[in-house]
Amino acid sequence: MSKEFGEIKIPKEIIRKIEERIDETEFKSADEYIIFVLEEVLKEEDGEEPEEVLSEEDEQKVKERLRALGYLD
Amino acid sequence: MIVVLAIDALEYTLVEEFNCKNLKQRFYGKTNIKEFSEPKTMVLWSSFMTGKNMEKEIVARGDKEMWNTELDMEDTFFRSFKNPKIIDLPGFSYIKEQHEQERRMLKYYFDAQSEEEKKNIRTEYNNLAFLHHRRIKQEFSTALQGDYDFVLGYFSVADVIGHLNFGNGSMMKLIYRDLDEIAGTINHTLIVLSDHGMERVGIFGDHSNYGFWSTDLKDLGNPKITDFADMIKEIPEVN
Repeated sequence: MSKEFGEIKIPKEIIRKIEERIDETEFKSADEYIIFVLEEVLKEEDGEEPEEVLSEEDEQKVKERLRALGYLD
Repeated sequence: MIVVLAIDALEYTLVEEFNCKNLKQRFYGKTNIKEFSEPKTMVLWSSFMTGKNMEKEIVARGDKEMWNTELDMEDTFFRSFKNPKIIDLPGFSYIKEQHEQERRMLKYYFDAQSEEEKKNIRTEYNNLAFLHHRRIKQEFSTALQGDYDFVLGYFSVADVIGHLNFGNGSMMKLIYRDLDEIAGTINHTLIVLSDHGMERVGIFGDHSNYGFWSTDLKDLGNPKITDFADMIKEIPEVN
């Protein structure tokens, strides 16, 4: 089933900035970028995405595993 | 033409979560890699292409030298094809300079003392991986238009990015969506295969002890990675 789309007005200045930004990314258009960002913001608002936490313990664990897998000396 | 989309660290649970329909195809599941003591990339892809467990042989080379493994075409199932194209596959046509650079930056990351330094290295590391991904994507796309009877494209982005960013759901979703789109462009007999999956350790990612497979051909159940050599040779198109 294909998605239904509505229209929304966005300042041209923002569109221009997005178009500059997506040049070096996997996004094919400003529309695609905007949909992706909004989905992520809404998901975060709904509390679906856990906060990224950098912990010393995780880092040590992964460092040891990467060594065991041959990625690190 | 038979096509293998060889995706390092493609994780079954994320393919499901992001509903990557093109990667899933008609039949899909997990591979069984429990016979290997560690899910090492070079060991697993070498075992895939030879159809036999190569752990002892590859591990004996040592952690540094194993990345230089280059198997002969005659030792792989690729010899069953008249004109195969194998892109960036570990143990066969691996682009060593690129992947050495990635491992070097991984080391810099873990050696860095400050959060600021780590942040900068992570950005540089991610850019390096994405740039390579775009190059491989282009080469793969060109190969699909070529006069080959077998094309294998190895995509490392989910593994390389995953090691430092697996806890970043948005970034992983972007990668899986892109890989799904690549699978969607293939109009040939397709096998999607990963060496292992990935599990979250905070923001980081570690190799999981199963891989991913999919095909439109038949339900393979819970195959070993060494089963694919014979399975591919038996596809009627090959004979």
